[in-house]
Amino acid sequence: MLHVAFALSPLLVVALGACLLMMAEAFSNVKAGLAIGTAITFAAGLSFSAAVWWMGPANLEGLDVLAPWLVVDRFTVFFDAVLCLGGVLASLLAGGYLPEHKLDRGEFYSLLLFATFGAMMLAGSGDLLTVFLGLETMSIGAYAMTAFRRASPRSAEGALKYFLLGSFAAAILLYGFALLYGATGHTDLAGIGAAVKAGGRSPMIVIALVLVLVGLLFKVSAVPFHMCTPDAYEGAPTPGTTYMAIVVKAGGFAMMLRVLLTCFGDAGSMSWSAGWPPAVAWVAVLTMTVANLIAGRQESVKRMLAYSSIAHAGYILVALVATMRSPQQATASVLFYLVTYTVSTAGAFGCLILCGSRGKEAVSYEDLAGIGRRHPAAALAFGLFLFSLAGVPPTAGFFGKWFIFRAAMESGLYWLTLIAFVNSVIGAYYYLRVLVYMYMREPAAGAPVAVPMRSGYVTAALLVSALLVIALGISPNKSLDVAIEAAKVFAAGAGT
Amino acid sequence: MTTARPAAGTPEWVTPAFVTLILGVGVLSALKLVGKLDLVGAIVPFALPAVVAALVPSAHGWKVRGPLAIMAGMFALFLAHTWPGATDAVQEGAAPAEPKHLLSWLLALPLGGAVAVLFLPRQAPRLLKATTLILMLVTLAACAPLLSVPMGREFHFNEDVVWIERFGIHYHVALDGISLWLVILTTFIVPIAAYASFGSIEKRVKDWCFALLLLEGALIGAFVAMDLFLFYVFWELMLIPMFVMIGVWGGSNRIKSAIKFFLYTMAGSVVMLAAILYLVYAYQKVTGTPSFDYFELQRVMTPRRVQFWLFCGFALSFFIKVPMFPVHTWLPDAHTEAPTGGSVILAAVMLKMGTYGYLRFCMGLFPEACAEYAATLAGVAVLGGIVYGALCAWRQDDVKRLVAYSSVAHLGYVMLGLFAATQSSIEGAVLQMVNHGISTGALFLLVGVIYDRRHTRMLDDFGGLAKVMPVYATLFIIATLASVGLPGTNGFVGEFLVITGTFVSNKLGHVNGIQAVGAAIGVILGALYMLTAVQKMFFGPITRPENEHLEDVNGREIVALAPLVVAIFLIGFFPNVFLSRMHDAVARVSSDYQSRIERSPAPKYYEGPIRVVPRKSEAPKPVAPHTADTEVK
Repeated sequence: MLHVAFALSPLLVVALGACLLMMAEAFSNVKAGLAIGTAITFAAGLSFSAAVWWMGPANLEGLDVLAPWLVVDRFTVFFDAVLCLGGVLASLLAGGYLPEHKLDRGEFYSLLLFATFGAMMLAGSGDLLTVFLGLETMSIGAYAMTAFRRASPRSAEGALKYFLLGSFAAAILLYGFALLYGATGHTDLAGIGAAVKAGGRSPMIVIALVLVLVGLLFKVSAVPFHMCTPDAYEGAPTPGTTYMAIVVKAGGFAMMLRVLLTCFGDAGSMSWSAGWPPAVAWVAVLTMTVANLIAGRQESVKRMLAYSSIAHAGYILVALVATMRSPQQATASVLFYLVTYTVSTAGAFGCLILCGSRGKEAVSYEDLAGIGRRHPAAALAFGLFLFSLAGVPPTAGFFGKWFIFRAAMESGLYWLTLIAFVNSVIGAYYYLRVLVYMYMREPAAGAPVAVPMRSGYVTAALLVSALLVIALGISPNKSLDVAIEAAKVFAAGAGT
Repeated sequence: MTTARPAAGTPEWVTPAFVTLILGVGVLSALKLVGKLDLVGAIVPFALPAVVAALVPSAHGWKVRGPLAIMAGMFALFLAHTWPGATDAVQEGAAPAEPKHLLSWLLALPLGGAVAVLFLPRQAPRLLKATTLILMLVTLAACAPLLSVPMGREFHFNEDVVWIERFGIHYHVALDGISLWLVILTTFIVPIAAYASFGSIEKRVKDWCFALLLLEGALIGAFVAMDLFLFYVFWELMLIPMFVMIGVWGGSNRIKSAIKFFLYTMAGSVVMLAAILYLVYAYQKVTGTPSFDYFELQRVMTPRRVQFWLFCGFALSFFIKVPMFPVHTWLPDAHTEAPTGGSVILAAVMLKMGTYGYLRFCMGLFPEACAEYAATLAGVAVLGGIVYGALCAWRQDDVKRLVAYSSVAHLGYVMLGLFAATQSSIEGAVLQMVNHGISTGALFLLVGVIYDRRHTRMLDDFGGLAKVMPVYATLFIIATLASVGLPGTNGFVGEFLVITGTFVSNKLGHVNGIQAVGAAIGVILGALYMLTAVQKMFFGPITRPENEHLEDVNGREIVALAPLVVAIFLIGFFPNVFLSRMHDAVARVSSDYQSRIERSPAPKYYEGPIRVVPRKSEAPKPVAPHTADTEVK
């Protein structure tokens, strides 16, 4: 029993922290400690995941009681850690942003914690039921976060769009699950995987697969299911945007990897030329290209970062396609990419938060004009994160891309890799534009300028992200090993 | 150290100073020929500064006198110690110990310095400038031990540390006779550009110093990296500071030029990254372990179709950087908008990255493809580079644009020399890389001088400047003649070697004679456009009243330009000092190249699956986790 509790400790810590903080928020007037409390909870979740990792989930006994609902393996633990890291960064950013913009209501932190709990559950789910539960727990938190700026019409618009489309997507996913159950008679992923392997591509399974894919691709906001993403990202308070860009997306990819590789990972029935890989490959091409092209035309930096996060989902999808040929390498590349993406995106949004203050928020490119001269430290940090997102060495983002491209090339996906390469050049253009505005333009006379805020929380989040971006960029050895170790779960390829 | 002799304040003071310097160098070499250098070598480097300092008129204070004297001594020392034969004596005994980690120090000084500069106060520009300059001079001084080692065919100062084991990525730096001069060129030019720019850069000095140091580190890194991954990292790293330099301190149209520069280069380098990835993947498929090591990847034999694409990936990236016609269009814009210091570094060092990359990586990794397309590419280099570049330069009204287009022409020679791939043409090409760095660097500095005074660069705005600014005119004409290739200046040696090498080359099909003639025509065109510009600027009547009272070059500008002028003559008169050190390395490159091609002139590709051939003897011993020496099928 102790082993089981230990295996679930990251989840439990976050759930417990969420309940405690919610109580504290309800019965106390002190709001100041909430952000730090949330960050500490996430940090505790992170440390517990690390502890489970070092202990090795394989060495823990009695985990069968969880089957098939929850699977605790290195993959799950890795994701627990990444999601908690994202949570730490998002809650620190919230700690600076919310009071500054007079949005200081404690629900935000509870939402963060519960949504992350859902995402962690998603990463560890071994059954369609827990997949759906985790997904909804995560999504509802995200919807609420989008609507958090109650006074802002944009926030309401984004939230409504996000909620409606998200519900449709969830319904479609659920429909797919139902068909899957009907076709195979199983709700546990491993059982479905075995049935698909034995049964081959029956029409029912193909239809179910298509429906499931739509639901999954919506959650990682791939083109053409991205329509609500920019609105939601723009409407949400920036820490909420950060959270959606990193944690919700990571959760989505955890679910996608788990479901696709466990249920449909069999190369026999889901062959290279038919099945999900070609479909996902096309979606990846579309996602990268469309998102990069639209991102270049944005006038708002926040919206640009939203499109950039869609483009990054496209790169990850490239690696997802490659999992069909080299499961371990490609999965590891997804995992590593998510880490680098988490720290660089959190950093970029954090810098955007740092560059603005109440009433003088930094949103458009024009707002950032001249920041490089007026606030060199903020601009330098922003530059670092943008270079990481653009994939310029020696930053973390470069190794993330590198690992993905390498995995794709080793799987023989030459054209897909080439398109991804071309896209990374297009992507460089709009990241560069931010730098151009920060360093090379001055605000027009009389134009409102963004005034940076001062916040220890935001600075702390940026420091953590910057350190990780540089550390992963200079010495990715250890973390690569960890990612590859985590990806061993799928090394065998087909459903285990 | 010396006593200042009160001198008459004639405005032509600089001429005697230089005459003395050159005479001193001449005396030194004459004594060397007699064989009394050991006795005199100890005296001349100290006597010469005294003479130079004494000859500088009292109009200039010790801020000019001191640096000029020290430089004179340094050049004398340089010549005394690099004279062919000076190292022979050492060679007879035990091989001198190579200073350990020297290349890492050369990288760490500017890169670490860049980080250190960030922590200096923004409000103290003098401190920032001084720190930057001192760091750069220390880096230059740290290059001295590079010259103490006799350069043979092999690589020196080898340092190989595992960086990312799983991908076979190493921190591997090494230096041979070719990269030796490019590293020295970098450490020589960058402080000059920095010192000159400190006069005109007033805003955001801290960012400027940071960018300069970062750029220097990245440039040195790219020249010494022997791991393709490491090379790529430095290759990308140098983009950022240059982008910022153009974009922040540039002219009116700077942002467009900066973005154009960045995207052109980035597009090229991404294709190169794809090619690197594929090459490593091919290596891994055969041997089982990945490696980015240059010497390991050199062993990969690829069939024609594969090699064609790999060659394209690398060559495109390098051709954009060189730049070769038709991907040269970013260069004039970038140069026109860049601040003087940025232009100097861009032209003098950064463009060499493309030619060096072609020599080291394209010719080293894909010799068959290089040989197959050499004739065509040489045609492009002659017509699109040398002739077209020269004609474009001729038509320019803006002096800076003119010099930028002349770069296209000059680098056409370098590329022609590499395509011809004979011993003398490659030596000429490498020397021409250094020459172009020095003479074009000087020209950009000089254009910057006049721009600072008149805020225009249009040829029509000048005329008769020789009467107003005699020293400036003298220096400009010296740099022009070096750029044109007058015998006795550095340009002559490089172009001569390239053209003779092209004539005897068998790599260019049966049109090599025509190519050489085309290149020779380019020399005439070069004289045409450069001398036309000189004539318009300096001679004839003074047409504009603004030009009547221009100040001649000031102390800072003299100190920045003097070493370049001395270097022009140093290479012009004593090219052997430079050629002797690169000779064996060039011989290695060309014999490797020749042995892979086997049958000439039509290149014969290796046919069959990708395989890896045994390691060559010159390659440094790899550290642990490489593959076995045996041939792997």
